[in-house]
Amino acid sequence: MADKQVIAVIFGGRSVEHDVSVLSGLQFLEALDPGRFEGLPIYVDPLGQWWTGAALKKRSRYPLEGSETKDLSQVMLDLAAPATGRPQLIAFQKGLMGEKRVSLPFDLMVPAIHGSNGEDGTLQGMLDFAGIPYAGCRTLGSAATMNKVFTKAVARTHGIKVLPEVTFKRPPKGKFLDADTVAPALKAMEGMDFPYIVKPANLGSSVGVGKADDMDGLIAALMTAFRLDSDVIVEPFVSNLTEYNIAVRRGADGTTLTSAIERPKRDAELLDFKNKYLAGGEPGGPKLDTGPSEGMASLNRVLNPDELTDAQESFIRGSASKIFDELALAGSVRVDFLCNSETGALWFNEVNTIPGSFAYFLWEAAKEPVSFLKLTSAMVDEGFRLSANRLGQTDAGSSGATIFRRG
Amino acid sequence: MADKGSSMEKRWHKQTVGTDGKAPFVWLHGWGQTGASMARLADLFKADGQHTLYDLPGFGETAPLQEGAGTEDYADALAAEMKASGLGPAVIVGHSFGGRMAVQMAARHPDLVRAIIIIGGAGLKRRRSLAFRLRAFWLKLVGRMARLSDKLFGTHFREAYTQKFGSADYRNAGVLRGTFVRAVNENLTAAAKAGRAPALLIYGSEDTETPPEIGRRYEQLIPIARFELVPGFGHLDILTRGAYQCEALMRTFLEDLKNA
Repeated sequence: MADKQVIAVIFGGRSVEHDVSVLSGLQFLEALDPGRFEGLPIYVDPLGQWWTGAALKKRSRYPLEGSETKDLSQVMLDLAAPATGRPQLIAFQKGLMGEKRVSLPFDLMVPAIHGSNGEDGTLQGMLDFAGIPYAGCRTLGSAATMNKVFTKAVARTHGIKVLPEVTFKRPPKGKFLDADTVAPALKAMEGMDFPYIVKPANLGSSVGVGKADDMDGLIAALMTAFRLDSDVIVEPFVSNLTEYNIAVRRGADGTTLTSAIERPKRDAELLDFKNKYLAGGEPGGPKLDTGPSEGMASLNRVLNPDELTDAQESFIRGSASKIFDELALAGSVRVDFLCNSETGALWFNEVNTIPGSFAYFLWEAAKEPVSFLKLTSAMVDEGFRLSANRLGQTDAGSSGATIFRRG
Repeated sequence: MADKGSSMEKRWHKQTVGTDGKAPFVWLHGWGQTGASMARLADLFKADGQHTLYDLPGFGETAPLQEGAGTEDYADALAAEMKASGLGPAVIVGHSFGGRMAVQMAARHPDLVRAIIIIGGAGLKRRRSLAFRLRAFWLKLVGRMARLSDKLFGTHFREAYTQKFGSADYRNAGVLRGTFVRAVNENLTAAAKAGRAPALLIYGSEDTETPPEIGRRYEQLIPIARFELVPGFGHLDILTRGAYQCEALMRTFLEDLKNA
């Protein structure tokens, strides 16, 4: 049998979405085709150290506490591996003769880190630099969609309906925002008055999102959001808010495919982190080794909601495909929409290039169902293809840009 | 979705998923479970077959068979139910206790079996350490003494013994206790050798109920068999978070079956 390709899945990370990322990473590993691939878990702990080891595949191991690393090896990514060789991780093992350098080769990396330092193009840029094949969005698409203001500007340019917004910068140390500086800026809201919703410009996952009913509330919500991000956006609050999400990916033949549409259910008025990810489970409770049906997919959501009209559905599918194409996205990307359920008005909201659980449950519920097993294979194949296409021939001789004499 | 088996004396409760007219699959769950425990995996094949997920007799909503029924009785009853429902020859997927039934089906009702897929299947005696065997010998002796004492002197030692030393499955078996005792003591070596249907054997490396060693031995016994070890999964989570690993292995097997 031919050697299996080693697929390194990197998860965890120094992001507020650390725990969700662990779940997504493990689910991806569990859905890799055992006939073609061998999964290699890479866990980035909250301190930023990288670990690998079979024990990382057990959900019961998390959260990893300081002393529980005996059966794991700490690894570094080799950024200077020759372009002709396999990418590798480097570990150091203590032996009788001192430390021994061990290399762990792999073939492709799958970023499963949500939020900053993973979904925002920085990891992708590093992998491109090192010539390491990876799955999912490239640097440009990842970086562009991490910034909500930029994404909305692109959407506007391409005629996709979005809400107006105002961006605030974090005030310098020792200064505070007051009503006199905030009020004039709100004129850009196209006449839409309080309540407003306040979000960090660069984070996904609803962390730091707050609602403001008046000026005092707005300033308080801004200060909360500034703890997480230097740029914060304020948008009109959509009354009777319903959210719709859809996943998009590119088929092997180059066509843009859309998944089932989901409507996340919720009790609280506002979708905050706990509602989005922890419904049905206590935060901090033990995470058991249960199935992929647990976690993201088993949360309260309605798949293929029947209240959508044909026009609404085609707006969602059309806008999602358009933004995917315009930003040259890849992998399994989730596009989120806001809806006023009373009036039926819909707005494009944001793009998650590494959605929780890679949105596999949206693909499994699609008109032509795609199992997570097929999705992981498709993402890996696409990753190899995109990474191979990126550079092509790059040695100096091929472009005639030689200064020093060769051979 | 759920409907009752008709025309049968013992009605089998079942769930059906998938596409009518496609290849029939019959799913048999493990001890203490119901047909629903197979649903996650069966769902992944809904475009590929017509699936019947049974509650086995004595579990879920299906009434038990006669007291002390063995796996061969379960297989015969299933064969009657399949014939009545017009199912077969089918791919029979059995988990744990359902795996025993799959082996029996292949041996006793080959006309109804296209292939068998066993996930963490039981049915062969486990190799135990000397310490384990000594402990088991002593405990059995104590159990017999307790029963004897109950009979002679009207004491209630046996129940106390069961509560203290009986396994959870044994304690909870209720009317199925006779079936349970027969099943754990049975040896399906002869049945495994007799079956002619191709078999796929999927075992989790961390499975302590039905360790991979059992699967490897089945592979030796069943004439056409493929053993697959799935690293990192146990007896139950192989059906949930391990569903995609099973899906991949099953797809390859079913593809090879088509080409065979």
